[in-house]
Amino acid sequence: MTTIARVELDQVPLLARPYFADGDPGPIVRSLAQVPELLTVALPFIGAALGPSAISFRAKEIVIVRTSALAGCRFCVQTHAVVALEAGLTSDEVAALQSCGPTDAAFHDPRERALLRWIDVVAGGGPVSDEERAAVLRSWSDHEVVELTAVVGATLMLNRYATALALPTAPEAVERLAQEGLL
Amino acid sequence: MSTETTDSVPAEAGPIARAVADGVLPGRVWMYANYHCNIQCTYCLTESGPKVTQRALSPETMLAVGEQARALGFTDLGVTGGETFLMPHMPDTLAALSANLPVVALTNGTLFSRRLLGKVEHLADCDVALQISLDRPDADVNDEMRAPDNFRKVTQAIPDLVERGITVRIATTVESIEDNELDRLCALHRDLGVPDSEHIIRPIVRRGRADTEELGVEAAASDLPSELTITDDGAFWGPFGPTVKDGVLDTDLLVTRTTLPLETPATALLGLIEGRPQGADSTLNIR
Repeated sequence: MTTIARVELDQVPLLARPYFADGDPGPIVRSLAQVPELLTVALPFIGAALGPSAISFRAKEIVIVRTSALAGCRFCVQTHAVVALEAGLTSDEVAALQSCGPTDAAFHDPRERALLRWIDVVAGGGPVSDEERAAVLRSWSDHEVVELTAVVGATLMLNRYATALALPTAPEAVERLAQEGLL
Repeated sequence: MSTETTDSVPAEAGPIARAVADGVLPGRVWMYANYHCNIQCTYCLTESGPKVTQRALSPETMLAVGEQARALGFTDLGVTGGETFLMPHMPDTLAALSANLPVVALTNGTLFSRRLLGKVEHLADCDVALQISLDRPDADVNDEMRAPDNFRKVTQAIPDLVERGITVRIATTVESIEDNELDRLCALHRDLGVPDSEHIIRPIVRRGRADTEELGVEAAASDLPSELTITDDGAFWGPFGPTVKDGVLDTDLLVTRTTLPLETPATALLGLIEGRPQGADSTLNIR
């Protein structure tokens, strides 16, 4: 398979070095490091959007896995399915997110159901109706919807990036998903 | 009314100009005009040779770099390669660059036929110095590291250029040199018309082909001059940055892929320098 070159660990550009301080940062960072000035602005945004914030770890991983599944991103689905398990989601919940199909059978919390409907609308493309916007705002505050929507957008950007460049999933992630029956 | 500080840097000068004036950021901006060369030196940083890809900067890009370098507050320009005079536009480009800032152009000195000498004659009236490599006072030892007949061509070209009023510098790149050999080399360059003030001696840096040949000194970024260096592949931490090993560009000293506007890599480089621990300046006399 043709894939994109990832910076070797002894060839890390100067501006990118802080992101390699703890070892191999993974294929997104290693590929973006080829353009260090892009890496240094992209990663703080990605970190703020996908990392710890006012939105719970669990809710963010619901957004990321579901969005990635809808976008058909193998790398992001597999990588974040493992993270979602660490965030406390069950294998059934992760499987439902991965399926692109109905999720009500796995998710019972009304807020999470509202969130999932919002993700499906936002990540699915096309117009967003006033009713759909009003529905999510009945369960989530304005600033939460802003952030959750930005997480969908950031995830979609990474979905297209990882899919287009055929980034490989870490073997340990694939192994964990196999153990959970999530492959 | 323009307010000026005591060191003649206008108060409204930008951060690059202030950093250059304060000695924080080196004043020279280098450009790799090309990567191909008519010879193949054993210690070449860029694995240059006749068969490598040119990866040339266009004259328009070089002039834009020169103009923007001056506007930002840099003080000097350097042009290197590859062999710079394989680029037919080089005499005119050097003259045009020197209208902005003083220029030093590196050349192996082997291409100065009567025709090329005629084309560079006008550089005598410009602020351009040609820096020519001459490593040893004896032809056989010199040519072993560089190319057959290199010594003869160089020792012929230097006085030809000096006679035309062109400033010539000599760069000697060696692992080590005995006092006696250095004395004879200095006597030689004086005979060729190049004074001691225009002779520099520098170590081989173990990068590129020198690494393959296991020559020279290991150097970290902090050992190398942090002169902003523009190439077709991006901007680097100094002219020792954009090296090539086994045909692959080294990126460990890459600063940005963006080269123009020059402010982008210049600002990034300054940020890296200011983040460098104090006392971590160049210590290996690499220049």
